[in-house]
Amino acid sequence: MTGNEVVAWAALVAGADFMYGYPITPQNEIMHYWARLAPHFGRGFLQTEDEMAAGFAMLGGALVGKKTFCATAGPGNILMQEPIAMAEMMRIPGVWVIQQRGGPSTATVIYSQQELRLTTAGGNGEGLRIVYSTAFHQELFEYTIKAFNRAWEYRFPTFVLGDGYQAKMREAVTLFRPEARGWTLTPAEPLVRRPGIPALDRDPVHLRNTFNIEEELYDRLMAQLAAYDRLTPEVVEWEVEVGPETEVLLVAHGIVARAAKQACAMLNRQGYKVGYFRPITVRPFPGAALREAVAANPNLRLLVVESAYGQLLALVKAELYGFTNAIDTLLKPGVGITAEEIMAAVTARTPKEVRPGG
Amino acid sequence: MMDEQRVLKIIVAGEGGQGVQSIGELLAEAAFQAGKQALYIPNFGVEQRGGVSVAYVQIAEEAIGAPKFLYADLLAVLSKRAAERTKGYIKPGTIYLYEESALAAPVIDDQAVGIQGYETVAPEGFAKMVGAAAAPASSPPVDPSIRPVGIRAAQTAKAELTPRVFNIIVLGAITKLIKVLPPAGVKEAIAKKFGAKFRENPELEALNYQALAKGLTMIETEGQQ
Repeated sequence: MTGNEVVAWAALVAGADFMYGYPITPQNEIMHYWARLAPHFGRGFLQTEDEMAAGFAMLGGALVGKKTFCATAGPGNILMQEPIAMAEMMRIPGVWVIQQRGGPSTATVIYSQQELRLTTAGGNGEGLRIVYSTAFHQELFEYTIKAFNRAWEYRFPTFVLGDGYQAKMREAVTLFRPEARGWTLTPAEPLVRRPGIPALDRDPVHLRNTFNIEEELYDRLMAQLAAYDRLTPEVVEWEVEVGPETEVLLVAHGIVARAAKQACAMLNRQGYKVGYFRPITVRPFPGAALREAVAANPNLRLLVVESAYGQLLALVKAELYGFTNAIDTLLKPGVGITAEEIMAAVTARTPKEVRPGG
Repeated sequence: MMDEQRVLKIIVAGEGGQGVQSIGELLAEAAFQAGKQALYIPNFGVEQRGGVSVAYVQIAEEAIGAPKFLYADLLAVLSKRAAERTKGYIKPGTIYLYEESALAAPVIDDQAVGIQGYETVAPEGFAKMVGAAAAPASSPPVDPSIRPVGIRAAQTAKAELTPRVFNIIVLGAITKLIKVLPPAGVKEAIAKKFGAKFRENPELEALNYQALAKGLTMIETEGQQ
């Protein structure tokens, strides 16, 4: 099936109650499939007047204890940042599925990885979010379920960062009920209008996104940053193949990581010593794991590969402050990257003397 | 015909409405049902209909990497514009399946080096020759290192079956050429995809299976060059 279908099924089995959305390619079929599935399972769908309305409606649903989600892309992702920032401030859970398209502005409806920065660090705050970057349909399914759990467990905005290719391509996937695999679904509880008399039976609920003085905001933010730091080691996920022999470490996320992994396997078959690092959570970023991988060999060179012009590269560089390893790049904003191109980039940069038989 | 990546790479390209994407979907479905890894991705733009339509299909025994690729093992071209747009995907050894009513039969020059037929641009961002001068194509690429296979699917569909099953004839020809999918499995994929339509119109079911059979035999009878 297509990735968009996969997401709709995942939301269903993850216990999503309601989707609010506004059409934008390439995520439209998530809405279409969800709108078709929802009535059969007692779930809801509302098409709002734009993405901002969809985002704020999600927050309203979450406040009364419903698991809500939305899917968007490109310019829709930009509009969505305002409600997401509010969710971050007020710690209102929600799941956003982003199927990245070409940017900036309308650009293409097809594909890119240019929404990495916006999705990980959008909003007028500190970008306290959880962002999973998927690569396979199986991951789209499993991380969408996980995103619902994480969102309602930690109450930070949670994202599945896909792209137009994942949205539209067809490949095999195994769907399952999370409970059948022993996965527990995090329950959603009302954040407001809980039973009992405030101050007598329970603490009052006071969700704020407005503060009167600087220090109030500062105290609040420092508490949130501390909570985010605590969740980081519990949430970070990555994939790595590296050893002391590794000479070139490919770094890629999302669907480009598929090409990188494929290139890595083929180059190693040809005798090159190539490793591979893929952040699965791009926020929080698995920095410690990356540093450990790079430390495997002091002469290791990195090759950062992405369908954007340096958005992943910026995250990698920030994590590797103090390291002196060379960083090469293959940056192709808005277009797909094939394994062949990555192989060519590696072999072009690998000095002759280390080539097999060279 | 698979390369060192052990992945069979197929591109089907034609006009919107020719059923190109159905071919891609059916190949992927048949491969999946045959226990193989399969990945199919359509190209898609902002247009609702018309324009060149391209389907990318990969079939493998192992997990498949990137959804797109640089070079096709089999390139099926169903219109002139599609030929121009996909020429960048040709490599030595590519099987070039083409609809003869769309492209004239090639003249092979044994002394030729490289691809002779096309000087136009493949607009994919990763295709090599972006910016090259454009010239109209009127025949399949003349290159001794590729294998051109011409079929008359459009004429056969119109004269013997129905124009609607044109793409299924092409699917049959592709199935025969790639050799990795059992024809019975491809037939099952057709039954699965069009089951609802077939229940409404049983005649269409028979026509589709006949079209598949025509495509399979067409390669033996007229396609070998």
